[in-house]
Amino acid sequence: MERLRICFNTVFLGGTALVWLAVSTLLAAPFLLILRRDSAVRKFVYIQSRGIVFLIRLASKGLRVEKAPRPEGSCVIVANHASALDLYTISAFGFDNVIYVTKGWVFRLPFFGYVMNAAGYIDAEKTSPQKMLDLCKKAVEKGCDVVLFPQGSRKDPYARFKSGAFYLAEQLQLPVLPVAIVGTQKMLPAGEWKIKPARIKLKSFPVMSPKDYTGELGHLRMAQDVKKQIMDFVNKENEK
Amino acid sequence: MITREEIIKQTNEALKKEFEFTDEQLVPSAHLKEDLGLDSLDAVDMVVVLEQKFGVTLRQGYDWRSIATLNDLYNFIEKLAHTSNQ
Repeated sequence: MERLRICFNTVFLGGTALVWLAVSTLLAAPFLLILRRDSAVRKFVYIQSRGIVFLIRLASKGLRVEKAPRPEGSCVIVANHASALDLYTISAFGFDNVIYVTKGWVFRLPFFGYVMNAAGYIDAEKTSPQKMLDLCKKAVEKGCDVVLFPQGSRKDPYARFKSGAFYLAEQLQLPVLPVAIVGTQKMLPAGEWKIKPARIKLKSFPVMSPKDYTGELGHLRMAQDVKKQIMDFVNKENEK
Repeated sequence: MITREEIIKQTNEALKKEFEFTDEQLVPSAHLKEDLGLDSLDAVDMVVVLEQKFGVTLRQGYDWRSIATLNDLYNFIEKLAHTSNQ
């Protein structure tokens, strides 16, 4: 039964996801090109992502979302990262105007690269820290939230949270909204292509303020505290 | 005067605590960027952490490009610690 489910998930739902991403991009591209507005592209990515979350729900053994109240203005959203699905799961919280700061290879993918550039997402490998601050500041002025995966890679689910996201929050004086993603690692781990059924849980925590982390190493301390909060939850859920 | 062994011990302790490295990772030949994955912001944080640990000002003479490995870092701190004691 489990093997049949994996086969269904991988062939049917995985295939549907790829077709959905490709066809919706092709259909929307002319309109997005005419509109030439990055905010319209971000809205489109949100709709695409909600479609993928729907497919993840079908492939899962249940998907639950626990939302903490979000702040009034923009914030820096940080999440643990262990699967390619994580990028889409952020949309389950209803964040519909976000920019991602992510690794360069994603920008070089067909379809995805075009959309990511048009949406104003930031290539973390190509952009200097100062330029990144400037781009994020501009995005925040447009009302965007900034999403980062501080572990930087899907290889080690328990990897250190690098402090760049928290330095950004400190410099722009933005609250940080921690997000825990549980189960996507079991569903589609890094380097695998079989989509296994798994219980998915997504939880956002109350925002943390950079004002509570003063001193030269404030952002480092904040990174450590946020990691502890997220990973304690992930470990507890994985033990169930 | 602080010995080289003490510098290595205290540096490794600080790096393990602040950057979650393991003893296996912290070998003298480890490249800070390629093996330990430290980026430019990490380098700045590391300097602040080590300054607090050793009570010396590292950032004035610190050049990221000339300190590639952990061994380079130990040498740099050792040189600075001895200079400040003279």
